[in-house]
Amino acid sequence: MAFVKQKIVPFEGEDRRDRSRDCAHLAVQLEDTNPTSRRWAARDMIDCPNAATALVSRLKREAEVAVREVILTTLIRLDDASALGGLVECLRSEDAALRNEVIEAMKLLPGEVAPIMHSLLADLDPDVRIFAVNILESLRHAEVESWLIQVIETDPEVNVCAAAADLLSEVASAKALEPLVQLKLRFSEEPYIHFAADLALQRIRGV
Amino acid sequence: MSLNPPVPASGLMISSEDFLKFKEYFYRRTGISFETSKRYFVDKRLIERIEATGNSSFRSYFTMLRFQASGEELQYLTNLLTINETYFLREDYQFKCLVDSILPEVVRQKNKGDSVRVWCIPSSSGEEPYSVAMYLLELWPGINEWDVEIISSDIDTRILAAARAGRYSARSVQHVPAKWMTKYFRKIGEEHQLSDELRDAVEFTRVNLAESADTRPYRNFDVIFCRNLLIYFDDVSRKMAAETFYEALRPGGFVCLGHSESMSRISSLYKVRKFPDAIVYQKALEAR
Repeated sequence: MAFVKQKIVPFEGEDRRDRSRDCAHLAVQLEDTNPTSRRWAARDMIDCPNAATALVSRLKREAEVAVREVILTTLIRLDDASALGGLVECLRSEDAALRNEVIEAMKLLPGEVAPIMHSLLADLDPDVRIFAVNILESLRHAEVESWLIQVIETDPEVNVCAAAADLLSEVASAKALEPLVQLKLRFSEEPYIHFAADLALQRIRGV
Repeated sequence: MSLNPPVPASGLMISSEDFLKFKEYFYRRTGISFETSKRYFVDKRLIERIEATGNSSFRSYFTMLRFQASGEELQYLTNLLTINETYFLREDYQFKCLVDSILPEVVRQKNKGDSVRVWCIPSSSGEEPYSVAMYLLELWPGINEWDVEIISSDIDTRILAAARAGRYSARSVQHVPAKWMTKYFRKIGEEHQLSDELRDAVEFTRVNLAESADTRPYRNFDVIFCRNLLIYFDDVSRKMAAETFYEALRPGGFVCLGHSESMSRISSLYKVRKFPDAIVYQKALEAR
């Protein structure tokens, strides 16, 4: 046998794109039984107005990881308030995998996430507040340290504060020194808080 | 011997704590991990960038790097910290993995008359796809039983023309065994001309990986080599590339990334496969 050359030609497989690509049809294809069709629809809906609503609705029910991933990428690329609102809804999902995927997606939306970070960090559900701290882990935004300091100064839940202290060990400046000392006093019986706060203090002081 | 760079005129120094902080952050953002033995290399470039960006300390530079909305400085630093060069048989452990582990699995799923399809992107000046062809000819017995298609793509038409021409410097071929040199190259002046047999083995095409209209026809590949490209992409572009490869692969197909790249940090679409010679990423056999 040998090396052979074939010209790249338009693909004519099961997901051939000879069906209409207008937004109404894409919305229908997003509910297709074939996951390949759903993936392509999710990808091509980037140019459709109000795509976020349909995508989020599908995301909550979608079992195929590959389709969920494409939906999330499109939501990130849409980069609008409606897409973000849908992602926040999914933070409350019982599906841990979906929650984690959404946290990863929200890390990529610093401009959109920043205006709602205060409300996420003040959410009544401590799990949502931990997820908000998780988002801060890789969020490119100048206020990250201030938000984390706010958490360790005010949040009543030890696990939320522990997550914030962990992250402060990487991002904190001298501004966080006193709040970290106060955090240790506030949770004086919690060894993990002491460990995390001491690590952050050590890194800030450079010792 | 000291691992620290000489103190620059500005007096800037990267402390061990700073290095650790940077190392952790850079690893999380790019999947590239620097050992302490690379300290000199990393410190030197960090100091260069601290000075060039008008910062007065590692701390202020790190804050800028971490929180800059555009991610421009991280991109610049990533380029600086990665070596962008190509040559024949670069990271050849992956080619060994291809012939010893990947292709035997691939052909088990094939029927008589099927061909094995390999996509190399980016093509650059052709060293990688031609290395694949040479490796298959020299070290894969299956080449006698199966047809193989190698398609190599790049966004840059000038580099594609150079790849098709197949003429290389001594540096580019320095790792090619003498026996293979004799067989596949002919010396012309200071350069080495690749044989027509190998030049004819590869189909070169222009593709912008970020453009779905370009990539949509690329289907049914068994193996994709995409090495040392995604490190230059931003997060969203990396995810889109991972999804493009997913569409381009047959179920059970493989993606090979550069040694410092990790698909696990980009996408959950693939299974990690640890073979004796390399870690690669596989689209599930049952995937549609």
